[in-house]
Amino acid sequence: MDILIPLMVIIPIASALFLNLLHKNDSTIKIIAIITALILPVIALITPYGSHYFGGYAPLAQNSTIAQGLPALITGTQLFQFHPAITYVFGSAQQLMIFILVLISFFAIYTSINETKKPSGVYAFLMFMGTASVSAILLSDDIFNLFVFFEIAAMAQVGIIVASGIKDNYETALKYILLGNIAGPLLLLGIALLLGITGNVNITDIIFSIKNGLVDPYSPAILMALGLLTFGWLYASGLPPFHTIKSAVYSKALPHGAALLQAFSVFSMVAIGVIILRMFAYIPFTSTAIIGISLLAMVLGITMAIVQTDFKRIIGFLAVGELGYIGIGLGLGTAFGITAGLFQAVNEAIITAFLFIGFGTVLYKTRTSDTRKLGGMMFVNPKLALLVLLSGLAMAGIPPLNAFQSKLMLIQASIQSGLPELGIIMILLSIVTFMTFMKAFYTIYMRPKPAELEILENKIPKSTIISLVIFLIICIILGLFPQIATNSLQTLATGLV
Amino acid sequence: MIIDSQLMSFFTAGSLIVIGIFAALFLDNLIKKIIGLAFLADGVNLFIITMGYKAGGIVYILLPNMTISNFAQNASYPLPFALVLTNIVIGASTLAVMLGLIIVLNKKHGSISASKILGDKGEKIE
Amino acid sequence: MSLYDIILKRIREIQEKAEEEEPITNVTASAMLTAELTLIASLLIAVVMIRLIHPILMIIMIIAIFIIAIMAMPIMPKLRKEQNDSFNNMIFYVVIALGIIIALFYWGNLNV
Repeated sequence: MDILIPLMVIIPIASALFLNLLHKNDSTIKIIAIITALILPVIALITPYGSHYFGGYAPLAQNSTIAQGLPALITGTQLFQFHPAITYVFGSAQQLMIFILVLISFFAIYTSINETKKPSGVYAFLMFMGTASVSAILLSDDIFNLFVFFEIAAMAQVGIIVASGIKDNYETALKYILLGNIAGPLLLLGIALLLGITGNVNITDIIFSIKNGLVDPYSPAILMALGLLTFGWLYASGLPPFHTIKSAVYSKALPHGAALLQAFSVFSMVAIGVIILRMFAYIPFTSTAIIGISLLAMVLGITMAIVQTDFKRIIGFLAVGELGYIGIGLGLGTAFGITAGLFQAVNEAIITAFLFIGFGTVLYKTRTSDTRKLGGMMFVNPKLALLVLLSGLAMAGIPPLNAFQSKLMLIQASIQSGLPELGIIMILLSIVTFMTFMKAFYTIYMRPKPAELEILENKIPKSTIISLVIFLIICIILGLFPQIATNSLQTLATGLV
Repeated sequence: MIIDSQLMSFFTAGSLIVIGIFAALFLDNLIKKIIGLAFLADGVNLFIITMGYKAGGIVYILLPNMTISNFAQNASYPLPFALVLTNIVIGASTLAVMLGLIIVLNKKHGSISASKILGDKGEKIE
Repeated sequence: MSLYDIILKRIREIQEKAEEEEPITNVTASAMLTAELTLIASLLIAVVMIRLIHPILMIIMIIAIFIIAIMAMPIMPKLRKEQNDSFNNMIFYVVIALGIIIALFYWGNLNV
C-alpha cells in the first residue's frame, strides 16, 4: 500500500479544480499549472511499484490481521481471495506510460500557456482533468472505475475541442459526445454482464473466476461482454468506425490540445486493450479480431490521410493509422509482440505530439491549416522546418529514431508468429506514411510561397522550440537505447501471455 | 399467471436500449436523438439494477437483531446499486453538456436538425 | 491507352463530378492514385493470410478480389465519400460495426 500511487490521479484533479477557480489571475494560473505539470513526472518516477487499495484493505488472503476470527462462511469461500477495494496497480509498464503521458501533458500545457495570449484556467483544468483520468485508466484494476474515468476523459476531450475556438469546433464536439453516449453505455453494459456473471468488477477477480472454473468461460454473456468491451475500446482509441470522428477531433483542437488528445487515445487504447487481452486471451477469436480491426485502422487511416488537404487532418488520420501498429502488436499475442506493441504506443505518443506541436508553428505563423494555401515556410524559419522534418522521419521509422526500433520489433514479431504478411503490410504502410508526410511537408515548406499567403510577424515562443527539441532528444534516446523502454514493458507483456 | 418481475425488467431494459439506438440512428431532431441516448443509458441502468434484485431479498443493512448467516443468505447484492448511482451522475452531466452544445449550435444555425447542423462540411476549411 | 492512364482518367472524372467547386490539381489526383494502389495492395497482401484456413480458398479469394478491385476501380473516391464528416453517416457505420462485432464474437465463438 503506497500513498504516492493515488497522488498521480489526485494531484492533477485537485490542481484542475483549483485552476478553474482562478479564472482571471493569469500569472498565478501560469505558475500553478507549470509547477503541477512538473511535479507529475517526478511522482511517476519516484513512486515505488505496488498496489493501492482505495477505501478498504488488501484481499483477506494477503491480510492476516483482518482475516483473523472470521466465520467459515467467508474464509471457506472465494470471498477470501477477492479484492474488496478499488485497486490501483503500479508496475514498471505503468510507470513508463504514465511518465510519458504526463511529460506530453507538461509540454502541451507549457506551450499552450506561452502560445495563447491569455492563459486560461479553464483550459488548463480540462488538460489536467484529461491527464488525471487517463492516468487512472492506466492504473486501475477495477473495471467500473475505468468506465468512470473513460467518461471523464471523453468529457475533457470534448472540453478541449470546445475551448479551441476553431471554426466548426462545436459541431465536432457534439458529434464526438453523441457517439460517446452510444459507446459509453454499451461499454457499461459489457461491464454489467461481467458483474452479473462473476459478481465482481475487479479485473483480477474476474480473471480468477474465469480461470478457476467458477463461471463458464464460453458462456454467451461473457462473449457478449467481450464484444461490448471491444466496442468501447474502439471508441476510446478511435479505431474504425470511429476513425473519422477521432481525426476530426484532432483537427478541431489547437495543436497543443491535439498533441495531448492523441496521447489520451494512445494510452486509453493500450490500457483497455491490455485489459481485454488479460481477460479474454483464452478465446482464440479475440486476437484475430484485434488484428483485423488494427489492419483496417492502418489501411483506412493512412489511405485517408493521403487524400486530405488540411494538414491537421493529415496528422489526425496518420495518428489513427499508427494506432493500427500498436493493435497488431497486441493482437499477435506473443510476449515479444505485445512488448513491441506497447513500445510502439510509447513512441507514437511522443512522435505524434512532436508532429502536432511542430506543424502547429505553421498555424501560429499563418493562421491557416489548408495545405493548398501554404508554401515557402522553409525560408521563414529553416531550423524549425528541420525539426518538423525530423518528426516526420521519426514517424516513418527511420533509424536512429525510436519508431524504427519498435516497427522493426513489430515486423520481427509478426514473422515469428508465422504471419509475415502483416510485416509486409506494415513496411508498405510505413513507406506510404512517409510519402504522405513528405507531401504535406513539401506543400507547406518547400514549394514557392503563394502570393496571397500572409505570414504574421509574431515570433514563435521559445517554449515551443524547447518542447520540440526535448521531444527529438527523447526520440533519439529511445531509438539508440530501446532497452530503457522495452525492459519496463516486458514484465507486463510476459504477464499477459 | 404471475409474470416474473425480474424477467420483465430485463425485457424492458432491452427494449429501452433498442429504442434508444433506433432513435439515435433514425431521428433527425437533435433533441430527440438525445432523448434516445438517455433511453439507452436508462436501459443500461435498469439492466444493472435488475441484476442486483433478489426475489424475497432484504435490504443490505445488517440490523441489530439479525444473524449474519440469515443476512448473508437473504440480502440483495449492493454493488449494482452503487454503480447505477454513479452512472446516473455521469449521464446527467453528459446530458447537460450535450444540451448546452445544442443551444450554442441552435443560436448559430437557427436549427436543431442533425442533417443540417452536423452534415458533411467537405473540404472547406478556415 | 495504358491501364495507368485509364485509372488516372477515371479518378479525374469522378473527382470532377464529386467536387465541382474544388480545383483538381496533379497533387490531388496523384494522391488519390497512391491511396488507391495502397488500398488494393494491402488488401491483397492481407488476403494471403487466408492460407491459414485453406490454401485453395486463398487463391480463389485473391483472384476474386483482384478482379473485383480492377472492376470497381477507382475505389478510393467512393471510400472517401463514405468516410465523410456527416454525423448521420458516422452513426450509421458505428451501429453497423456494433452489429458486426457482437455477431462475430457471439455467434462466431459459439458455433465455430
